[in-house]
Amino acid sequence: MVMKGSEFLVKEILPSEVFTPEDFSDEQKQIRDTTRDLVDNEILPQVEEIDSPNHQLVVEFLAKAGELGLLMMDPKEEDGGLGLDKSTVMLVAEEIAHTGSFSVAFAAHTGIGTLPLVYYGSQTLKDKYLEKIITGQWGAAFCLTEPNAGSDAMTVDTQATTEGDHYLLNGTKQFITNGGFAKLFTVFARLDKEHFTAFMVEKDFVGVSIGPEENKMGIKGSSTTQVIFDQVKVPKENLLGEIGKGHHIAFNVLNIGRIKLGAAVNGAAKEVLKTSVAYAKERKQFQHPISDFGAIQEKIADRTAQLFAAESLIYRITGDLDIALAEVPQDENYYKNYTKIIADYNGECAIAKVYCSEQLAAMVDEGLQIYGGYGFIKDYPAERFYRDERINRLFEGTNEINRLLLPDAILKKSLKGELPLQSLAMKAFEGLVNPSFDLPEETLFAKEFQVVKNTKQIFLVLAGAAVQKFQMALAKEQEVLMAVADVAIYIYALESALLRAAKHYNQASDKRKKLLAALVKVSTFNNLEALAQAAKKGAFYIEEGDNLTLLLSGIRRYGKYDASGLLQAKRTLAQSVIEQGKYPL
Amino acid sequence: MKILVCVKQVPDMESRFQVQAGGTAIEEADLAFRVNEYDEFAIEEAVRLKEKLGEGSELTVLSLGPQRVAEAIKKALAMGCDQGIHILDTASRDPYQVASLIYQAVKDQDFEVIFTGMQSQDLGYAQTGLLLAELLGIEAVTTVVSFCQEGDGFLVQRELEGGQRMNLKLQAPALFTCQLGLNQPRYPTLPNIMKAKKKKITQLEAASLAPPAARSQTTSLRPPAKKGQAKFLEGDLGAMADQLVAELKAKSLI
Repeated sequence: MVMKGSEFLVKEILPSEVFTPEDFSDEQKQIRDTTRDLVDNEILPQVEEIDSPNHQLVVEFLAKAGELGLLMMDPKEEDGGLGLDKSTVMLVAEEIAHTGSFSVAFAAHTGIGTLPLVYYGSQTLKDKYLEKIITGQWGAAFCLTEPNAGSDAMTVDTQATTEGDHYLLNGTKQFITNGGFAKLFTVFARLDKEHFTAFMVEKDFVGVSIGPEENKMGIKGSSTTQVIFDQVKVPKENLLGEIGKGHHIAFNVLNIGRIKLGAAVNGAAKEVLKTSVAYAKERKQFQHPISDFGAIQEKIADRTAQLFAAESLIYRITGDLDIALAEVPQDENYYKNYTKIIADYNGECAIAKVYCSEQLAAMVDEGLQIYGGYGFIKDYPAERFYRDERINRLFEGTNEINRLLLPDAILKKSLKGELPLQSLAMKAFEGLVNPSFDLPEETLFAKEFQVVKNTKQIFLVLAGAAVQKFQMALAKEQEVLMAVADVAIYIYALESALLRAAKHYNQASDKRKKLLAALVKVSTFNNLEALAQAAKKGAFYIEEGDNLTLLLSGIRRYGKYDASGLLQAKRTLAQSVIEQGKYPL
Repeated sequence: MKILVCVKQVPDMESRFQVQAGGTAIEEADLAFRVNEYDEFAIEEAVRLKEKLGEGSELTVLSLGPQRVAEAIKKALAMGCDQGIHILDTASRDPYQVASLIYQAVKDQDFEVIFTGMQSQDLGYAQTGLLLAELLGIEAVTTVVSFCQEGDGFLVQRELEGGQRMNLKLQAPALFTCQLGLNQPRYPTLPNIMKAKKKKITQLEAASLAPPAARSQTTSLRPPAKKGQAKFLEGDLGAMADQLVAELKAKSLI
């Protein structure tokens, strides 16, 4: 069974039904290894040079990645690509992520740079451009953001007008990744002052100019510029997709981009963890390596558990997506139906973006803390990790925008009758008044599975109360929406970690079993605590008086978890990371 | 020309190794495996030879071991081998048994050139290739660092002790064990990884190949004892050199 988008809030699924990193095929592992070899042997030794900045080197490595086939994963075989599944694409993104700035260039090129053409391009456009893009001959970039249109992306000022056999394009695009070297731009503009539409624009078209490189805080080796269009003649055949449907392109491509960002930041987090742990093992204070100390071990344990949840949720999403996408009939409506499926999972895509990027934020922060004063010195890698991380909570939709679109996606599904939220919320409220006290059975991770069930009740009563209280005005209550979003995000994270551990527990070695049990305990406790805090906050925002009391008592009851042995679990987890010197899975 | 390359799958050398309860083998449960590095040189050289010869040449990769070994064979296929032979075997074997099993599997196939790694990274016997050549009754050259095919013969260079090199000229059939420095193995490209899925891997059961008795035995296995710590010399260059000489003399090393 595959869960449809947002169904995780109302359904239970068996561990055997989720895809996990332990399920990679031999081919997927080989593709990971090829990527890893390229990264470790060739790109990593040049990371400082890339950040100097040296954009030419980025272009050369993109071409090298192209030779290995790393830029052609998404397009179908008949379009000259490999038609690989999303899980493989994420696995590659994770490996490339170790390279910091290059990773951003790579993700922009293969994601938002390439996918609009793959998903929405006519045969003519594909014939014209696709090969150049997927071989790395041409860099690609995505031009949506403008000086005055960031989160409010639909209000672009860039204009296209119809002039005989072509369009005339005018406007300025802001913060364009790969802007300095890209040869092909997907540009969003208002056509005839009205229709939000995408166009494919070559750098060499007359009237296209590139602004100076932005002086950024981090990812300094990636190119970020303005792209300016002044009376640019765009052939009619370069209109991408349909007139007035540009937002479909933008949103769907960004949906994939959000999962990919999640995978990439998880990869980056593995690198940060490895580096920080190596330092902790080397640095001696009080005659001991600091990795011997509980204060350091707790950081390592908490960060590893969150990384485990983040990694689990990425491959759970792509596993579901891959099964659903594989069933799309290969007919003329292929990409139309394909993008519909991606759109159906927009809630999960937002979750991936927010949870994973905040996971990395915590990792670089604690990673730097482990370095102590040296973390503040540029000669040590923690400083670069700290600066490079920050962008991830800003681009591909800020984390605020992603938090707001998550409840919106869920409620829209409910209104369309695709999620039985209303009836389940009613039941959950009844449960608050007449609680039942079933004790969980003594099966594997029974307590934790009960926590997952309970947290879904918390979501239902909180979201239900919000809808009842604010009705149509809920869209304006952003603080409430963000609290509801957080509850959904933490549910997905703790459930994904649990399902993954449960799926592989029985086949694992004794040592691995202990590690999995520790991961489950720490992940469940930490995610549940964060969830309960968001839920309580939400309850205070929404209700007052008796209703508030009832809601809070429900959150308290459903938020219970007996985490006995938590300290030992953290120590087991930390020791496993320290022993292996890296993320232990 | 029929070419064979024999590869071994070994634990990733960055793993943390633990000895199994019995004390004669490595605990394999949580290890990651990869192709033996020396065998990657062998695969690369075999693929280059095949590419040079073009039409009519055929390259087979062979490996022995449990199910997981298929991954190593697939990597060789993705690098350019045409087909695979997997001798399914879960037992722990000594080099003579391994060479005998390979011999039984390939003796009737008339391979003219065989490449193997110089040794395995995990056990490092450096015997399997030579034993296989002996069983097949063909010539063998070890520690090859340069290889060139000319007509129906080969010009090769092998590495000797003390940085010396030896040039050799010989005719097929022959076996070559490949040493670091021979070549830079290619990364399998994504298209080739996917194409390799369609290449054939023949599975043979080790038991059906009549494995002989082992000629060597592992009696015990333990991590090396921790030795004294490294000593760091300090001071200016001349003083450090004097100190070093004194230390080496004291330990009777010079």
